[in-house]
Amino acid sequence: MTTTETPRRNDVSASTAMSSAPNPLAVAVRIVKSPHFARLLFPVFLFAVWHITLAAVEQVWPFAVDVLPTPGEVGAFMWDEFITDTLARKNLYETFYISLRRLMSGFAIAMVLGTALGLAMGLSRATNAFCHDWTMAILAMPALAWALFNSIIFGFDDRGPILTVILAGIPFVIVNVREGVRNTPRELFDMARSFKVPQSRIIRHVLVPSLLPFMFAAARYCFSIGWKGLVIAEVFGGQDGAGWTIKFWYDAHRAHGVVGYAAFFVIFAILFERLVFEPISRRAFRWRPQLQTEVVEEAFTENQDLQDQERPVR
Amino acid sequence: MADIKIKNLHKEFGTGDDKVVALEDVNLDISGHSFVSIVGPSGCGKSTLLNILTGIETPTSGTVDITSDGRVAAPGYVFQAARLLPWRTVTDNLLFVQEDRSSETKQRCQRYLEMVQLGDKGDKFPGELSGGMQQRVGIARAFCIEPDVLFMDEPFSHLDAITARALRRELHHMWAETKKMVVFVTHDVGEAVELSNRILVFAKGGRLTDDIGVELPFPRDPSDDEVAVAKAHVLRKFEELDLLAS
Repeated sequence: MTTTETPRRNDVSASTAMSSAPNPLAVAVRIVKSPHFARLLFPVFLFAVWHITLAAVEQVWPFAVDVLPTPGEVGAFMWDEFITDTLARKNLYETFYISLRRLMSGFAIAMVLGTALGLAMGLSRATNAFCHDWTMAILAMPALAWALFNSIIFGFDDRGPILTVILAGIPFVIVNVREGVRNTPRELFDMARSFKVPQSRIIRHVLVPSLLPFMFAAARYCFSIGWKGLVIAEVFGGQDGAGWTIKFWYDAHRAHGVVGYAAFFVIFAILFERLVFEPISRRAFRWRPQLQTEVVEEAFTENQDLQDQERPVR
Repeated sequence: MADIKIKNLHKEFGTGDDKVVALEDVNLDISGHSFVSIVGPSGCGKSTLLNILTGIETPTSGTVDITSDGRVAAPGYVFQAARLLPWRTVTDNLLFVQEDRSSETKQRCQRYLEMVQLGDKGDKFPGELSGGMQQRVGIARAFCIEPDVLFMDEPFSHLDAITARALRRELHHMWAETKKMVVFVTHDVGEAVELSNRILVFAKGGRLTDDIGVELPFPRDPSDDEVAVAKAHVLRKFEELDLLAS
């Protein structure tokens, strides 16, 4: 009988706690070497590069100061936006609410339609043959083209941006769900069937969990690609929203406004990933203790390959 | 007590030139508290026979009846790989194949987990267990539905020798204690001799060529002279049938 257990990462803290009198130099070295410190160092490094580049450019071209924003200008702009002191028609919160509403509508429709199509394509060869080429065509189409096309057709209301989100995101959902269906663990279905487990329980406990990593990859892609597509659509076919507001600052010839608003856009995407996707992913995939959330999709296919090898050869 | 009656069982795969005969005219009766091992070289149809017994595949012709005291027998399975749901805990994996989740069922699951010495691992996910532990969960899962007959398909072939030996001993105890019928597929003659009171030898082409009774007392130690002699006897049958050449 073997009782090999996965090593616990917490054991490290136990061994460090034993050294009772810490040497200040050693502590400083440990802080500098820690990944958190390196992470925090990055923005400092970024601002330094920004500042130095700006100073260098001004040496050769004095008018640069009118065009290129300094970190201070961008920071001041972002703060003003943050406290809703803005020249734009709608404040930061209203703008992001509008964009988020469009994004979520498009995202939900893309997920539902994409899942249905992906399931059909994974289960039926004929459906796959019928849909495969146009899925690839939509995948290859730049979001910019959808944005322009939809703004021509729908003018300046919500439909253009929402349709752009759907079209930008749906191929990723279709392809991921289809691969999920193709990779369902057949040996687990055989196991369930031989134990005469009812069909409804097989769907709930075998099919759905095995599709989940693929659904998750689909949702993440659909969200980030859709978010980018939305902004482009709002630039051309919106009268409000984050994309429109970036365009507003562009028209007003305010470089710090363009950069600042784009920064809000990035921050929002990162916050969403951190506060929504990561916690859900951690919870849904807590059965994979040894893996980081970033690599779950790849890791799942590796497990799948292992399980494939275990299938009985007749 | 369970009864297995196999009559004129025939199984083919493919058609025309691609036709492969997996089982040819197999007739067999197994009854009572027996531990029957099916041995033979790769491609002799032993896995196919098990798949037909478990209902994963249907025979081309012939009949298979698995009954227990006149009614259809309840079967349990242990597979080559543990085949656990990786996203469910050990206890939930056992409950997954149960008819209900009542407190008695849960207690029964816990009892069988303790029998395979994993009583404290119910809350773990399969990924947190070693290969041997996972296979023991698979064994507990098969026993805890309290089947009339237990089918096992090379359950220890993926494990290291020491773990496999420990699990063989546990399996023997559980078989002796629960009085179940076990049908055990293996390519390891030593394993078959150590565990079974009857060994069925299959040859390529799916023919049942020998039916050997092993009348040695349990527990059997592989290093024991009598066990070694019995193993040599079965291996000699293999040689006579020219099974080793393939």
